[in-house]
Amino acid sequence: MMATVRIAGKEIYLFMEEKYLICEDSLEGIFTGIYDAYALREGHKHVHIQVGEEENLRLFATYMHILPDPVKTEKVAETLKARLGEHVYHSICRAAASCYPDKGEAVYKTVVDALTAGSGSRVMENLRNAYVARCFELARFTANEAHFEIEFLRFQELVDSETAKGGVLFARIGPKNNVIPFIMPHFADRLSIENFMVYDENRKLFGVHPAREEWYLVTAGDAFVLKDPVYSEKEESYQELFRAFHRTIAIKSRENRKLQRQMCAYRYQDYMMEFQQKG
Amino acid sequence: MDIRIAPQMSVMDKLKILGDAAKYDVSCSSSGSFRKNDGQGIGNTVAAGLCHSFGADGRCISLLKILFTNECIYDCRYCVNRCSNDVPRASFTPDEVCELTMEFYRRNYIEGLFLSSGILYSPNYTMELICETVHRLRALHRFQGYIHIKAIPGADPLLIQRAGYLADRMSVNLEMATAEGLRAVAPNKHRKNILKPMRQIQNGITENKNEITLYKHAPHFCEAGQSTQMVIGALPESDYQIMSVAESLYDKFSLKRVYYSAFVNVNEEKDLPALVGGPPLLREHRLYQADWLLRFYDFRVDELLTADRPNFNTAIDPKADWAVRHLECFPVEINRADYHLLLRIPGVGVKSARRIVAARRFGSLTFEDLKKIGVVLKRALYFITCNGKMMYPTKLEEQYIVRSLTYQNQMGRGERLPFMTDGTTYRQMSLFDMAGFDDVRKVVSI
Repeated sequence: MMATVRIAGKEIYLFMEEKYLICEDSLEGIFTGIYDAYALREGHKHVHIQVGEEENLRLFATYMHILPDPVKTEKVAETLKARLGEHVYHSICRAAASCYPDKGEAVYKTVVDALTAGSGSRVMENLRNAYVARCFELARFTANEAHFEIEFLRFQELVDSETAKGGVLFARIGPKNNVIPFIMPHFADRLSIENFMVYDENRKLFGVHPAREEWYLVTAGDAFVLKDPVYSEKEESYQELFRAFHRTIAIKSRENRKLQRQMCAYRYQDYMMEFQQKG
Repeated sequence: MDIRIAPQMSVMDKLKILGDAAKYDVSCSSSGSFRKNDGQGIGNTVAAGLCHSFGADGRCISLLKILFTNECIYDCRYCVNRCSNDVPRASFTPDEVCELTMEFYRRNYIEGLFLSSGILYSPNYTMELICETVHRLRALHRFQGYIHIKAIPGADPLLIQRAGYLADRMSVNLEMATAEGLRAVAPNKHRKNILKPMRQIQNGITENKNEITLYKHAPHFCEAGQSTQMVIGALPESDYQIMSVAESLYDKFSLKRVYYSAFVNVNEEKDLPALVGGPPLLREHRLYQADWLLRFYDFRVDELLTADRPNFNTAIDPKADWAVRHLECFPVEINRADYHLLLRIPGVGVKSARRIVAARRFGSLTFEDLKKIGVVLKRALYFITCNGKMMYPTKLEEQYIVRSLTYQNQMGRGERLPFMTDGTTYRQMSLFDMAGFDDVRKVVSI
């Protein structure tokens, strides 16, 4: 839409008005936003996607609130998979799981570069484009963090309240990005015969895997508070064994705490039992 | 037979002794094998490998690295477990090893098992114990995670073969780069005995590959290949000798990895160096850098070192060192040079080179784009042009570039070494260190 002023009876065009689509912070929210941005048919230069509420409203801009819509989401997802391939689709999903608020715009403009500007399935290689470079960067951050969580999360064995036996594995993590959807497939394959749960305490989100079944997500709601879990009898002794192993395996004359911290940041160490001093 | 094992030793005490005894084995990798879970037991393997923790020395802990026993009939002078040392001795039972592995694995502490051993009674007896343990883990507990087994030199080829079908990776330690060196420090070991199982494993892997092409479900033999390790700095070998040995191991024995281990004088041997400044970590670091150049950057040892210049430059890394001595190849035009030439530029790694080749299809690249791609411009700028222009006016002159690169190092902004150059591993905080805070362990490809 053009912004105009009327001076001395003449209509003068000033500039194109910017349009902001405000979406929910989720994959569904962003994909619905992309669908609606295309549905506007106003080109993409002056249309923007924003995740979550804007605090400083802009002058000469219109804001539209977009509600996540499963049908539109499905259509966008199918189009991206079919035209860009699984690889690019997964990169886009990872970028959409980022903790940074500019992800909506980066993902949207990357999709535009791929579908409309024609870089297609090679879009993630077009790093000259600032939006693609940003989307690439966000996707890499999520992928790296998911990789670290796969390496560093620690399961603890809980007692089943009904049978009073051990068996359910439970892990608590505090990632910056929403990584649970990306780490569950790994553990579901590896520990296929185990009952386990991963809990993201920043998002109050559970990934749940019942033995020999498909895994699924459970949102706990903002009011949820995790009770202290009851650990199985042997849990403590295995933790103690691994702590001892962790201490002994280091070579004294090569001690290098800085390197240790570089390889495994404090924010992961906080959740790893071998770094919690006990006994 | 003389049994020195305390009968009532707890698993905790055994783990402390046998974990401690295994720590000088460098290999920790869990890569090279890709296997999905079959739904019958726990475990799978990931091609890139996973590190589950990091010890106080900054080395990764990927596998439960233990000796089966630290009893040993040999008397190698560099080894803490030699028979003439008075150290507490312990042995696991196969069931103890299985239980530890399974319980650690399901809690996500480890990626699998690394099982080595001192020589108990004879090489065959020891190898059989190892095979029995791992067989129990695979067959009884249906463990499908990663297993690394040490082949014991001198063991029967049939036992080595059996181990190969149980393990993802096997290794035989070369210990010293030269046969004379080995003879001097390990009177009971012979180079021939070390190379024999190495060759057997290599042939086993080749035959197995052919089998798998024919029969898709044929059992895998050492899917993740084999590795070895050499001790650095115990004897006066030059870097040139060490790297040449490594190169021929890669070429002739198709090894996956050669590890270098900075010598630690655990036995305070008088004839071996005392190393006042701590283990030769900088030297070890340079050797690893060169090792990467051989495996991923298409370099040959003869390009990096010669008989006249047998040791690496301590001030700059081997790749920069090669570049300043071959200025006739530079500057390289980023928008036109082929992949192999891009790889030779200091500050451009395998990932950046691939991204450059992919990104320039869409249009010519600028220095700003290179930054986004991940090129380390402060190192690369002396060697590249974008669209015919250099980033700053610089001289293409050896002395000048070396001075600039090493000046950056002195200011703490240059090459990032994992420790201080005098061998100590701490350093005082200064303003310039702040730049190092954003250090990322490794960039995981997406």
